[in-house]
Amino acid sequence: MTAVDAPAVEDLLAVTEDVWLALVGDDDPLLPRAVPPGSPFDAAAWSSVTTISGGWQGAVTVELDEALARRLTTQMLDLPADEAPSDSDVADAVGELVNMVGGNVKSLMPGPSVLSLPAVAAGRAAFASDTALACRLDLVWRDAPLRISVHIPQEGPR
Amino acid sequence: MKILIADDSRVMRQIVIRTLRQAGHGGHDIVEAENGRQALEMVRTESPDLVLSDWNMPEMNGIDCLSALRASGSTVAFGFVTSEGSEEMRERATSAGAAFLIAKPFTPEAFDDALRSVI
Repeated sequence: MTAVDAPAVEDLLAVTEDVWLALVGDDDPLLPRAVPPGSPFDAAAWSSVTTISGGWQGAVTVELDEALARRLTTQMLDLPADEAPSDSDVADAVGELVNMVGGNVKSLMPGPSVLSLPAVAAGRAAFASDTALACRLDLVWRDAPLRISVHIPQEGPR
Repeated sequence: MKILIADDSRVMRQIVIRTLRQAGHGGHDIVEAENGRQALEMVRTESPDLVLSDWNMPEMNGIDCLSALRASGSTVAFGFVTSEGSEEMRERATSAGAAFLIAKPFTPEAFDDALRSVI
């Protein structure tokens, strides 16, 4: 497995923008966020990951700011503005977000492959030490940050 | 018309219901299942006219649910609503007896087109 087996960042952005448009509409688009390479995500309160295995191997991770995760959930569930979503609703929404991005990444890559059920955490994401970052997006929605990253198995002996 | 929506995500079931409404199909009776096994049981107890099912679910996934339905003799119309829209998945869905596969992210137009094929 080599780095050329990763999705292009332009493709990951296109997939993410399509998912976002479908989930929240086009009133507030995602905007790019300038973050130096190698910087850990500085705002993660929710994270979710799904893995792809088979013809292509990789993991897609979403990390979200707390306020962003709750606003996203409110919009996805069409809740009244004064009704706060429960933690289980936020976990559900964050899991569905990574499921949609991951499923579309899977469709971009060689198959056949299997997409795992999403795993959601209230907190920062953990990354396996035998994987390498292949592609990363730092974005802003309504002034709050999110990050989407793709990790692939690391080459060679460790 | 009664529609059974099977998805382990409550958020996604809500989005599917909202999208059905936006597509002009808001007048149908809706029943919900949280996984394929529950959907399989509810096809028997609720007799829906159409099943809209996620693919990836705990307990029993959507394709196993469809296979079990067809093996039991059920001819209920069945469509997938899934984040996996590759040709391979579409072929597997069609081979198993699905009428359509709507890939997430989806539009109301995609729902309208799909539902018109089975209504």
